[in-house]
Amino acid sequence: MTDDHIEIRGLTKRYEGGDPGRPALYDVDLDIRHRHFVSLIGPSGCGKSTLLRVIAGLESHDGGRVSLFGQTPLQMCRRKAVGLVPQTPALLPWLTVRQNVALPSKVNRRARRQGDSPDELLRAVGLDDAAHRYPHELSGGMRQRVAIARAFGLRPDVLLMDEPFSALDEFTREALQLQLLALWQSRATTVVFVTHSVHEAVTLSDRVVVMSARPGRVHEVVPVDLPRPRDREAVTGFRTNGLEQRVRASLQGAWESGAAPDDLVRR
Amino acid sequence: MADHALRHAPGTPAGTAPGPVPGPVSRSTPGTRRRSPLHPVVWLPTTVLLVVLGFAWSAVAEEHPYILPTLSEVGGTLVSDPLLFLGNAWATLRIALVGAVFGAGTAFVLALLMSEIPVVRRALMPLAVVLNVTPVVAITPALVVAFGFGMTPKVVVTAIITFFPVLINVTTGLRSVPVPVLHVFRTLHASRLEVLFRLRIPSSLPYTLAALRVVLPLSVVGAVVAEFVAAGSSGGLGTMIRNSAATARLDYVYAAITCLAAMGVLMLALVTAVERRLLFWHDSQQQPAT
Repeated sequence: MTDDHIEIRGLTKRYEGGDPGRPALYDVDLDIRHRHFVSLIGPSGCGKSTLLRVIAGLESHDGGRVSLFGQTPLQMCRRKAVGLVPQTPALLPWLTVRQNVALPSKVNRRARRQGDSPDELLRAVGLDDAAHRYPHELSGGMRQRVAIARAFGLRPDVLLMDEPFSALDEFTREALQLQLLALWQSRATTVVFVTHSVHEAVTLSDRVVVMSARPGRVHEVVPVDLPRPRDREAVTGFRTNGLEQRVRASLQGAWESGAAPDDLVRR
Repeated sequence: MADHALRHAPGTPAGTAPGPVPGPVSRSTPGTRRRSPLHPVVWLPTTVLLVVLGFAWSAVAEEHPYILPTLSEVGGTLVSDPLLFLGNAWATLRIALVGAVFGAGTAFVLALLMSEIPVVRRALMPLAVVLNVTPVVAITPALVVAFGFGMTPKVVVTAIITFFPVLINVTTGLRSVPVPVLHVFRTLHASRLEVLFRLRIPSSLPYTLAALRVVLPLSVVGAVVAEFVAAGSSGGLGTMIRNSAATARLDYVYAAITCLAAMGVLMLALVTAVERRLLFWHDSQQQPAT
């Protein structure tokens, strides 16, 4: 039965013109349970963003199988069951905040997917006062909140986030992490979250998937057994520190396995 | 910019929005405020230059009246028969506008087709380039032979001259969509038409308007060139300049040139006004106009 979780088996992805001996992703196996929050972390070039784009149906793969609750990524997109938050907010600058949040319900109406009202979503991210403003009038953190509200809008079965907070300052980032946790708690969905911050991965996730590079593959899956719902105290406590050390050690191993052999020869 | 912020969010001054992240609003800072046109910094440099040029003109005109008419002669001619100049200006403007509408309109539609259908692009682009590099002045006599002395050849010349800049700019604009936005549309399984109308065409607007900024004054050039070659019955400022120059009525020549310059300025002002209205969201409108 694969209907109740995301199942990735033997996934291999090569880029045209890339080294055929070192695919971007090689033989990736991964299971993500329904309504789990999973982070992908790893050194640059480990294919975490590529993996996310394959799950989103934005890129094809060369081998293996990707099943999202028993469906292909394309079938999921056709039903508008995938929410995407890219690295940049990717808002339409000529639309107001409210119109941007309402966009997913306006396109591809054949999917007939009912979502939350834009006003309700904006209230959930604390932007109801900015509903009639335009993206260029907002700060970077506010724009990213609009993008998150837009992605949550149709209550997607899977929410894909590609380093959404990486361009923000630390204070804004931590505020947005807590807000994301609250949103996810109230409208539980499966989240795949790409990050390069160990703290962020541990704070948010049920599982941290550590990947290694050349070729990109899963190095280790670290379970995060912090209690839910998490608040600021829970994510700064003693156990969090221990888990972060655990992920860092795993990343070190992943980096060493991916660094060989060229990097070592040169030194 | 500042007036937009006020119009769209009454009672919420920028930067004081509630919420856990009181981030600074990057634009709408005092430095970007537009200066009043009455401020000396705005009008003084140009005015001084105009006065200097006017004195130089007068000096030359006094010495050589057969090369330059005096400014008062030109002004007097304009005032003595304003209807004559208005009528001829309208004749030229009509050709310029009709030609620009045809040329720019065709270019816009073809740019849409080219962006959606690669075969059309490969077929049309070389032809468009050849049309662009062929001097329009050289084609005009042939067009007059083909279409006569009426409005048609003049409109065709104007359309040809406005076609290429619009085609190139709109094609570029339609492709100027950021990849992350395109990804969001693709995960929603938006149709090609939805991507075109909701994303590509709005994204291309800054490019389209930049093309119009170039092309509208160019359309007047096209109309005048056509009138020079086919100085026909329909009048126009180009016809007037040609006939007046032939009879050495320099005051009429320069009065007509003044009208043409005024027309160009009005067209630019029109495009700028449309840009302010339509492109309030674009980076180009966040800086004070120069």
